[in-house]
Amino acid sequence: MFVLLIFLLTIIFAAISILLKKKAWETAAVESFIILVLTAIYGLVDFRAYTGGIVSSSSYPIDRSIGITFSTGVDGLSIALIFLTTVIMFAAIYTAKNEKFDRRFYGLMMFTEVGLYGLLISRNFLFFYVFWEAIIIPVFLLIAIYGDSRKEKASLKFFVYTQIGSVFLLLSILTLFSYYGSSHGNVFTLNMSNLLNPAFITKDITDKVPFWTDFALFGFFFAFLVKMPSFPLHSWLPDAYTSAPYPVTIVLSGAISLMGGYGFFAVLMPIAPVIGVSTAWFIIGLGIFSLIYFALTAMFQPNTKKMMAYASAASMGFISISFGDGILAGGAVSYTAFAGGIYQILAHGLIMGLVFASLYLIKQRAGTESNLSVSGLWRDMPYISAFFLAGIMASLGLPGLAGFISEASIVLSSYYAIGALIFMVIFGMIITASYHIWVVQKTLNGPFNENMGKLKDAKGSEILLLSFLFVLILVLGIYPNLFFGPILSFVKGVI
Amino acid sequence: MTFVLNSSILESLYPEIFLGLVAFGMLLMGRRVKDWVVYTAVSIISLLISMILLLLFDSSNSSFFGGAFVINNFGLYFALILITSSLYVSFTAGSELKHDPEIFFSIFLFVNVAMIIAAFSLNLIFIFIAFEGISIGTYILSAHGKSKRNLEASAKYFFTGVIATGFIVLGSSFYFLSTGTFNLVSVTSISLINKPSMLLAMILLFVGFGFKLALVPLQQWAVDAYDGTKNPVSAFLSSGTKVLAFLVILRVFLVGFSSMNTDVFYLFTIVSIVTMTYGNFAALSENNLKRMLAYSSIAQAGYLILVLDVVSSNASHFAFTVAIFAAMYYSLVYIFMKGGAFIASGAVREDKIMINDLSGIGLKSPVFAISLGIMMLALAGIPPTAGFFAKYYLFLALISGNLWYLAVIGILNSAISVFYYLKIIVVMFRPATEERDFNLSRPILIPVIIGAAMSIALSFLIYGYPYISSIVAGLGVGV
Repeated sequence: MFVLLIFLLTIIFAAISILLKKKAWETAAVESFIILVLTAIYGLVDFRAYTGGIVSSSSYPIDRSIGITFSTGVDGLSIALIFLTTVIMFAAIYTAKNEKFDRRFYGLMMFTEVGLYGLLISRNFLFFYVFWEAIIIPVFLLIAIYGDSRKEKASLKFFVYTQIGSVFLLLSILTLFSYYGSSHGNVFTLNMSNLLNPAFITKDITDKVPFWTDFALFGFFFAFLVKMPSFPLHSWLPDAYTSAPYPVTIVLSGAISLMGGYGFFAVLMPIAPVIGVSTAWFIIGLGIFSLIYFALTAMFQPNTKKMMAYASAASMGFISISFGDGILAGGAVSYTAFAGGIYQILAHGLIMGLVFASLYLIKQRAGTESNLSVSGLWRDMPYISAFFLAGIMASLGLPGLAGFISEASIVLSSYYAIGALIFMVIFGMIITASYHIWVVQKTLNGPFNENMGKLKDAKGSEILLLSFLFVLILVLGIYPNLFFGPILSFVKGVI
Repeated sequence: MTFVLNSSILESLYPEIFLGLVAFGMLLMGRRVKDWVVYTAVSIISLLISMILLLLFDSSNSSFFGGAFVINNFGLYFALILITSSLYVSFTAGSELKHDPEIFFSIFLFVNVAMIIAAFSLNLIFIFIAFEGISIGTYILSAHGKSKRNLEASAKYFFTGVIATGFIVLGSSFYFLSTGTFNLVSVTSISLINKPSMLLAMILLFVGFGFKLALVPLQQWAVDAYDGTKNPVSAFLSSGTKVLAFLVILRVFLVGFSSMNTDVFYLFTIVSIVTMTYGNFAALSENNLKRMLAYSSIAQAGYLILVLDVVSSNASHFAFTVAIFAAMYYSLVYIFMKGGAFIASGAVREDKIMINDLSGIGLKSPVFAISLGIMMLALAGIPPTAGFFAKYYLFLALISGNLWYLAVIGILNSAISVFYYLKIIVVMFRPATEERDFNLSRPILIPVIIGAAMSIALSFLIYGYPYISSIVAGLGVGV
């Protein structure tokens, strides 16, 4: 119930942001901070003794005859991602201070948060889909209105790509819905807990018409892989990330990228027994290929923003790998695999938030993010450089930081699941490490490029935000149980 | 309701008679009063009164002329939708008239009379007469205006339209030849000897009625006619008359040809795939706003007739119910999103309205841009607009009817269509290349805002599923 109230508050805040004429940034920053604090309190209160399952669920029927209810609830997976969303939205709005954004910008940002919040608490497939789509609209407008010179092409590409993915999601939902109704005496429901039931799918769909199971699975995988993004459905990503203004890039890399992973673990993980071994291998293959391919692509990017966009996509490859591992391994190892994958979503979001937030400050001061002309930043901006370095180190999986926990558990479970092929994963990690270190070397160290002129270091308020993100990454790295515990209980509860 | 209005045929025709009398009255008034406001007000009020008269009908079935004229809730729903579409465009239509408002509005009301009759007709002769009333009326409406473009559009529409009329007559006579009746009753079986003439009737009637709905390969007139006529008229042509043509096609092919389900299924499967794909791909490369909207309404007609595929494929009762519900839902939403989009194109003060002409309007009038944007999202079927929920039920019907290939083709089409709908939103927020003066007067702005509001508010029609699903059987004579 409490979480529903926070959600309603988010809607009200979004409306206020879009209507209020003055002090738009202050309002939006305070609003997103209130939501962050309330969510954190809610998580601490309700999830201290979490043992799996859905807590604080509520349900309001809309149309019983066709199974539409507005039912909400939170589990160990969604609380982690809700927390990530609120942190990222706060960070993105906070960094958007210096630009001349108007109230529409902050309103759209708040509506993005509404959509994500709604998606993560929905327990009814119709509303899951509605929010899934509703998120795209404000993000599309944010890119289309505030992006750089290529914004029109980038925003349309983003929308059309994700739309083609989502329509297949809709067909899959309709398939499950229609079979559930016809096999349960015309009692229809769109509740995710009813439809995502492997026993129902095996007995009522696979045994009768196996085609429809494959059809539904294809739709789910396609939608989530586009959103992730995975090779070969990724071509919207570099355009959208680079042409969006930085605060929107933070949202894209931190919060929007969680949707694909959330789909994997909230929709496909419960029906993992239905997914065949060959599909799992295929997903692992896609994951490994994405990891290596994106890492190699990132290596040759002269633009640091674009490079980190590919780095973000590369680390999403770990999520596909972990998902496939979880299906192949079975037993206790699959817990580690799934939980590692979920933890990777969380860690990746926070890390990308820190990376892009500090890169934004570099861009503001140096005027460009090209790593050919930016070099030797340590001399003038030690604080910003330190935080950028911290973000890069977390991104390559340095022990003690959040990224290590997830990558370690994924690699560990991969060893059990795919055996010797694990060297491919390690190979990807080595490439990742190499270009991460290389970009640090180029931009932070080396001789100072005098063409940039005298650069100012970060102000107190900017340091505050960066250290907030860094402390979170650090806490997640040295005390992972804070989130790993609920996530593991969630995974154990589902499988 | 205790007040029963359809105890006799005369009483059941009260709305039509009333509208007809008002229309004649307008012609008489025309010698003295020349102010468009008066005629707009009179026609809006009389349309509202006819709506109330319709609502006073007894809700149970009653049929007249031996089953040719059937009054039930299903027909009533569509009659109300059609009047709503007339109400929606009449405000803008009046303000754009330069001369002879009395002629325009009396013809407009006559068209409405014909539409209400057609909504309740279950007989080919009745449908033909009502259809002709609409056609002749809309020829005149689209020619209204002094510019050559209007005349050219109307002439194209007229010459192709009369040929289509001939097909309807020929098809109806072949129908009579094989069934012995003009009534669209469920002929359970067709003897082998009558099958060829029945097939011929099906093809001929498809040409005749499919013309009005602008199904491929009978679509090209629509693009020229919508582009050439005044915006309110094209809004009316693409919403009201289109929904009516859809209703007639539903009736004729699902009730009249229920004995030939398989043939109807094959015909409309091919036609729906070709229509939506052609419409979408043609719209993709179109830079003229009104022509793009015309192609998009061809594509939308393709989605609409997917309903026929579901019903004629002998689907389960649930699939049938959802399909007809989708048809009813889509028709209602369609009026506002499509009609609103055509009215909105009147904001550009030019003869040929290009998409790029809209650039800069987002900064000048954010309300207009947001409203048009919402209608575009609704046409593209993006939640949380009502356009999504209409499509949701449509695709639910296809999946429940096991027609997965149609669902995939349809949904891929709707994903592609997103591209050209969003292009308009992108252009609206682009800074203007040159200083442009937009027509954002109230007769344009208010309907556009209403259209956007309805495109969202009608999402709540999903609450109405239990009621509406109880009247879907009214498609035919039964229940």
